[in-house]
Amino acid sequence: MLSQLVILVIAHLRGILRDRILYGIFGVAAVMILLIPALSSFSMRQVQELSITLSLSVVSAVMLVVTLLLGASSVWRDIERRYTSSILTLPLERATFLLSKYCSVVIFLVVSAVVLGLSCSVVILLASASYPSDIPINWGNISVALCGATVKYMLLAAFAILLSSLSTSFYLPFFGALSIYFCGSASQEVYEYVSGEFGRGMSPYSVNIVKAAYYLLPNFSAFDFQVQAVYSLPVSFPDLSLTGLYALVYIAILLYLAMLSFERREMP
Amino acid sequence: MTRRVVCFLLVLAYSLLIVPFADLQKNRPIEVKLGYLPHSQLLKISSGEHCSTTAALIVMRVLFYYGTVLQKLQENVVVRPEFLNLFKTVQTAVDLDPYNMDTYYFAQAVFPWDVARVNEVNYLLEQGVRFRTWDPFVPFYLGFNHAYFLKDYARAAGYMQLAAERSGSKFYAQLAARYFYESEQTSLGLAFLETMIRTAKDKAVRKSYELRRDALLATQIIAEARDIYRTKYGKLPSSPIELLQKGVLITLPEDPYGGSFYFDERGKVRTTSKLVFPSGEPGGGS
Repeated sequence: MLSQLVILVIAHLRGILRDRILYGIFGVAAVMILLIPALSSFSMRQVQELSITLSLSVVSAVMLVVTLLLGASSVWRDIERRYTSSILTLPLERATFLLSKYCSVVIFLVVSAVVLGLSCSVVILLASASYPSDIPINWGNISVALCGATVKYMLLAAFAILLSSLSTSFYLPFFGALSIYFCGSASQEVYEYVSGEFGRGMSPYSVNIVKAAYYLLPNFSAFDFQVQAVYSLPVSFPDLSLTGLYALVYIAILLYLAMLSFERREMP
Repeated sequence: MTRRVVCFLLVLAYSLLIVPFADLQKNRPIEVKLGYLPHSQLLKISSGEHCSTTAALIVMRVLFYYGTVLQKLQENVVVRPEFLNLFKTVQTAVDLDPYNMDTYYFAQAVFPWDVARVNEVNYLLEQGVRFRTWDPFVPFYLGFNHAYFLKDYARAAGYMQLAAERSGSKFYAQLAARYFYESEQTSLGLAFLETMIRTAKDKAVRKSYELRRDALLATQIIAEARDIYRTKYGKLPSSPIELLQKGVLITLPEDPYGGSFYFDERGKVRTTSKLVFPSGEPGGGS
């Protein structure tokens, strides 16, 4: 099974690399990264900090688009092209096929994070050289922020794969995953908002619905280490481990559900 | 042939349109350039992980707006800056990213001086002290505001001590000690402004501080001449012109805000510009 998985992952990765849309996305990302030193120079007191903020935002935005496109389109496109119909005639489990799809997306995300992260490092160095900050650049925290973003999009990709395994069109996985991204990014803020003074004015029924949604939806804000990276604030490693474990279990549940759904699905 | 004509007409239409369109955008009202932002809580929820980036973009918008206001002022065009909207915008930026130094820096550079909103700025700065636990500048600003604007020297000394602890600089420690005894407000303001000018990077903000410093310097020169006159003649001069006539002053300093200096009923140096933009509130004297 492992050798089958590896072969399939390599095949899927080749398919991803042939996708011209991704070249366009990375072209736009390159332009955005090149603009960072110029944009950072508008800051009055924190050029370096702004360059790190913008870099991490660009990396995150690019990875979001890549995750949505790859996660939402991969299974759907294979079914549309009847690639799955032919490949699943081989002695191959559907679960292996789906897992290979997810692994290829994850590998591409990791490689993208490394490439974008390295490009941003150069830009951050350039921006900080022009106006050095009192705070030294904390490369460890920047790496943690990049890892956090990668894990977050791995989780979102698992959602997109789950929706792909359910849907017969591109739209549900794409917009469904996008909605989950927005809800998951805002859930912590909304939860804290309704748990505070504002929540006392709401009906207990509505508050309970919000709280239930908070526990069910993925908490994407937990993976956001941007402030720690920018202002070199301490990062708690026990908290990091717990967050990593949370992501792992959540991804496992989503992939399990995706595999169940995909195994029962009728292929054209 | 038809296609070529259509193509030519479209290009011609665009060429005719682009210049007036660009002019329209360039000359749109300054108020439109600042615009209005939704509530910070809503922005925080919608911007998610991009909170810091959103805050930085808001600060950039504020800077462009304020830079345009200062530029118009230098061209002798009186523009009434939307200070309330400007303050709300800065407050939104602080709510989104309480670590962003640019917001505190801008708030301190503009609001206490031009619209006398010291307490509101202090409220923002106190957030900065809580979040930027390593930074000596935010407590320095707070200490200055308490001493110079609010005359609360005990609290000023406390903040200066905090700035001294964070920076290890003797400068803040000296200021902390001085605030307990200092009474010469103009020189205190000058000391602060010189520090701010030295560290200012943004041209608009530096210009704003330089204008304020020049105004205070002019005030100080007239006040010192007034004191010499009083010692010499045993009475207060009726106007700064009298200082010139009696030879106490060689030249009368100009008010960079375009006003004329005079003495009020208690002999304090005042100016008709009130040392602020046309829409601002009364400024300082000596």
